[in-house]
Parts: sequence; structure tokens; C-alpha cells
Amino acid sequence: MKKAIALALAVLTMSVIAASAQGSQTVAARATAGYSCSKTITVPFITPVTGGAGFLGAEQSSWAKYAIKTLAPTLHLKVKLVVGDTPVEQGPTPATTLAQKYVGDSSVLGLLGPSTSGNVAATAKTFFAAHLAHISPSATRTDFTQGTTKEEYPTFFRDVPGDYIQGPSDANFMINNLHVKKVVIMDFQEPYSLGLASAVDAVLTKAGVSTTRLSAPNTTTDYSAYVTKVPSDADIVFFPTQKPGDAQTFAQQLIEQGKKAKVFGGDGSNDATQFKQPGSYVSNFAPDITGIAADSSIIAGWKKDNPGKSVGSFGPPSYGAAQILMNAIHLACVKGNGTATRQTVLQNIKKVSIKNWILGGTFKWSTKTNDPLNAKFYIFQIQSNGSYKLVG
Amino acid sequence: MDTFIQYTIDALTLGSVYALIALGYTLVYGVLKLLNFAHGDVFMVGSFAGYGTFELLGGGNPKVPLWLLLTLVTLSAMAACAALGVVIERFAYRPLRDAPRIAPLISALGVSFFLANSMQLLFGATPRVYPTFEIHDAVLYTSGFNIGNVHMPLLRVITILAAFVLMIMLWFLVNKTRTGKAMRATSFDREAASMMGVDIDKVIVFTFVLGSALAGAAGVFFALRVPTTVSIGFVAGLKGFTAAVIGGIGSIPGAMAGGLILGFAESYTQGYISTQWSDLFVFSLLVAFMIFRPQGLLGRADIRKV
Repeated sequence: MKKAIALALAVLTMSVIAASAQGSQTVAARATAGYSCSKTITVPFITPVTGGAGFLGAEQSSWAKYAIKTLAPTLHLKVKLVVGDTPVEQGPTPATTLAQKYVGDSSVLGLLGPSTSGNVAATAKTFFAAHLAHISPSATRTDFTQGTTKEEYPTFFRDVPGDYIQGPSDANFMINNLHVKKVVIMDFQEPYSLGLASAVDAVLTKAGVSTTRLSAPNTTTDYSAYVTKVPSDADIVFFPTQKPGDAQTFAQQLIEQGKKAKVFGGDGSNDATQFKQPGSYVSNFAPDITGIAADSSIIAGWKKDNPGKSVGSFGPPSYGAAQILMNAIHLACVKGNGTATRQTVLQNIKKVSIKNWILGGTFKWSTKTNDPLNAKFYIFQIQSNGSYKLVG
Repeated sequence: MDTFIQYTIDALTLGSVYALIALGYTLVYGVLKLLNFAHGDVFMVGSFAGYGTFELLGGGNPKVPLWLLLTLVTLSAMAACAALGVVIERFAYRPLRDAPRIAPLISALGVSFFLANSMQLLFGATPRVYPTFEIHDAVLYTSGFNIGNVHMPLLRVITILAAFVLMIMLWFLVNKTRTGKAMRATSFDREAASMMGVDIDKVIVFTFVLGSALAGAAGVFFALRVPTTVSIGFVAGLKGFTAAVIGGIGSIPGAMAGGLILGFAESYTQGYISTQWSDLFVFSLLVAFMIFRPQGLLGRADIRKV
């Protein structure tokens, strides 16, 4: 009996090892397996379309869909967009499941997203192992392209600047324009807010500004206790949430408790329909593209496909990310004489440069990192009519 | 002292909401010995129903006086949830009344997921924010009264008072009316109550109506101050359940006390220990009560015939 059990265990162990090796071989083989460019290419987009940050994914996917619809035919590609939902409240689990699914799909030569920094952290190694390029239009965590952990994410790209720009931009605006003396900095115990909060804290502290750190779970809805901890003489509460409704709640509860501090949100709170407290500030990686003349036809076409929707700031970078990916696939197809592999697409990502970039000017990659060259953050102040006015 | 007063106000506001949710759990458990895990999602539906009424009545520019607006919003949510409670009882629990106790429990979980996902499909992911701040230059936030240097906004006063009024009305209904007597009899011994002429089916339906209506009211009181989404039901339901256990599942005064205790525990933990530890402390309380005092503060210990 014991011998039988031992034999069964040995067979099971060998099977698992063999299956793992086979899986690795399959992943590696898929990276170099040629895919005919005449067939439909699947472009997945990992983004939250439900949950508190669902507005983000809804906007981003609509722009990515429009980009694919209009640009793929001009690049002689047949492309299908597939949206993988990753509600922020569920943590990284949905993203890791989707990553495995897309890695196993041979029609996927590259993908968009993940949109959130937490999901990039959870999936980057999977995509790296599969040599699968992924371009995020909104994951801004610094570590993904800078610093000592940079080497962990060589297949990760983003067409928006990271928090290593956002953090200092926001902090310097507070110091130079708002002349702050005391700032409360919140984080929500997840990678995006932790990184940004730390970046802002470092700059403010160095400049002699008094900072207080508060930390709330990502599932918090009532911030009363946190508002109570805000000193009555604090100038700003830096609130890098991914849920704009929470920024609005916090701002209202500050007034409810008679606190004078204003809320300063990061790019994750950029939604004029939800965060509209006059006097508050929001930073974002994209300007208002309705002011860019070259984008007027794109905007008109997108609006026709999305009646009743207004142009936000998360959508255009998604259009850009899709544009970059499709151009990289196109280059790989041309060089491969009608066949592309994940590896060749990856190699061609940084060869893409786009004139009349949707966010203005020309898009080029940084030579040192997988970030855009010379990107910047924009700071808006919310006006009494709820509109966002560019102030920095 | 000011921060203590502020935390106490927060505790009362939160505790009132938890108490209303806990009452729904306790009412149903008392009569059916069923933990209605869909209750948190009924609370969520209530918050959405209230939002819909709010918008219908003009949103930030209400077409009716403020007192009438809030009354109608609350009543509409209560009515919607009461109707939902009837449907849930009829289709998800009544067929399983004589089944082993695990069966309705599993059914309750299924109803919970069904409600959350249905609402998501119908209404999407965007949080709904009651436009309370936009009404008459934020009067609900800026009016009120001061306790020392701490401002007690009108919205909080309304929330706390309304919740207590509902609790008192429930107590009166259960203890001073014929229907309440029937409910208590059914809770004590269903068979005997039936033999005494109590229509058990009607009592059970009425219990669900009552519990769900209270959840609907709780949903409105909660969402008047913070955004509501389809995902709020889960945690709110867990905390309502914790409050019911702390107070004594099956005990109405216990549920009220449990809700308030939970509100105070959460608020003071966030204030004086750490904001990161409040959920840990709250759910640790649940475990502690289950181990050391499973009948809760005001519940009755089970007596089993041997």
C-alpha cells in the first residue's frame, strides 16, 4: 500500500514537472511562433469597466475601439478589440486570470493595459515570460520604468508620463503656486496611490512643508474619521484615489466638518461628472484635446460613435496606445513578409513615432526608458460651474 | 475633546445605519432561523431606489420642499425594498422552508450574487451620488448646530433621528400590536403559533417586508452622505450581520445595541488606534463574540432538550 502511494506521488510529481516544462516551452514557442497578418489579430484591453473605477475603463475602451476601427484598415490589419474587466475592488486577481488567458491565445500579438498600476504589477512578469508587449494608457507607477525594479518590466510600455513626473509636478505646484505650509497625504493601500503619495511626500518634506500621512483601505466609502484627522490649518489634502466619487465625498466632508483644506486629486480622480467640488485641484497626464485643432476630426468621429458622451482625459491616451501597438504590429508584418510574432512586435514598439499625436505634437519614446519623451502633467482647478481650468 | 465629539457623531451616524441593517437580519433569523445573506444587497438596492426618486424629484434643484424630498426618497426606497423582500421570500426561501438549513443559506448567497450582478447589468459601474450638496447652497451640510467647536450638520441630525424613529416604531410594532405578537409567537415556536391560528406564511412575508424596508431606509441614510455603487452591499451586509451577532441574533434590542456598538467601535478605532485597523477590529469582535458569548449581548442562550 505504501509503495503504491509512493509510486502514485512520484508519477504525479513527474507529471506536474512535465506539464510545467511543457507550459514554459509553449509560452516560449508562442513568442516566436509566426502569425499571419492576414488573419484577425486580437488586441485585449485589461481595464476596469465595472466597479468604482468603471468610468475609466468605459472611456478608455471606447477610444481604443474607435482607434482600431479607424486605423486598422489604413495599416492593412484586421484587428478585434477584447475588453477584460478588472474591477479595482477585486484587487489583482481578475487581471492575473486574464493575463493567463491572453498569453494562451495565439492571435494576441500585443495588448493594451492594464490600466491600473496594481494590475500591471500583478501581470508584468507573465507578459514578460510570454514576450508580450503591453502598452498602458494610464498606469503611472514610477517603478515600472524607473528605479531599481525597472528591469522587472521590460515588456511594459506606457504612452503617458509616470508618477516620477506627476509626484514632483503636483508637489512643486503646491509649493510654488499654492504656498502650502501643511499638507495631508492619503493613500489607499494599493500600488498607484502608495507610489504617488510617497513621491509627493518626498518633495514636500524636502521643501520644509509639514506633511501628515493617512492610509485608508481601497474599499472605504465614508471618510469621516479621516477628515477628523485633517488638521484645521492644513492647506491641502493630497488624495490620489482611483475613484473620483470618493474625492468628491472627501471634499464635501471637509466642508461638513468646517475644515479649510482643499482636495488635490491625482490623475485617477479626473472625472468632471463625479469630482466637481469648486476650488479643488486635479492633475492629469493629458491636456484637454478639444483645444488641439488637429484632433477635431478624431473627436467628431468618436462622438458620432459615442453619442451623448463627452471627451474626457483618459480616452485619448488609449487611442494613442492602440495606435502605437497597431503601428508596431504593422512594422512587424512588413518586416516579416506578412507574418508577425510576439517577439517582432515587441522589438518594433520603440521604433514607432507618431506625428500629429493625439495629445499634441509628435510622439516619441524616451531612449532610456519605456516612457514617452518629454511628457508632462497638467494641473487643473475645478471652477464654480464644475469645469476644469488649466492652471499649471 | 473636539475630536472625541466628532468621532462620537461619526459613531452615531454609522451605528444607526448598521442598526437598521442588523434589525433586518435579526427579524428574519428570529422568525425563520435563516441568515439572509442577501440582506446587504437589499440595502444596496434601497440606495439606488432612493437615488432614482431623488433625481425624479429634481436632484440638486428639488421640485418639492426639502423635508418632503427626503421623506419621499426614504419611503420610496423602503417600498421598493419591501417589494423585493416579498419576491425574494416567495421564490428563494419559501420552497426551501422544510429543507435542511444549509439549503436556504446557499440560496441566500445566490440571491446576493444575483442582485449585485443584476444591478450592475442594469445600472452599470458608475457610482451614484445623491446631490445633497447641491441643494440650497449645501444647506444640509452648513446648517445644524455646534457642540463646542464641532459642527453637527443637519444631514447627520436627520439621519440619526430618522433611524431612531424607525427603530422605535419597529419596537412598538413588535411589542404593542397584534401583528407583532404573532411575529413573536412564530419566533418562539412556529408550530405552536400555527396551531393557535397564526397564519405563518403571512407572518413570514411580513417579517421580510419589514426587514427589507429597514434595509432600504438604511441604504438611503448611507447614500445621502457617500457615493453608492453596486458593490456596497457586501461589506455593509457583513457589518450588519456582525452587529446582529454582537447584539444577539434574534433580539431586536440586541440588534439596535449591536449596531451602535459596532459604529462606536469602528469610529473610535479609526480615530484613536489606526484607520487601517478598524475593519480588523470590527471583525475580530465578531469572532470574539462567537467564541465567548455566542448568544450576543442581549440574546438568549439556546436551551436544548436532552
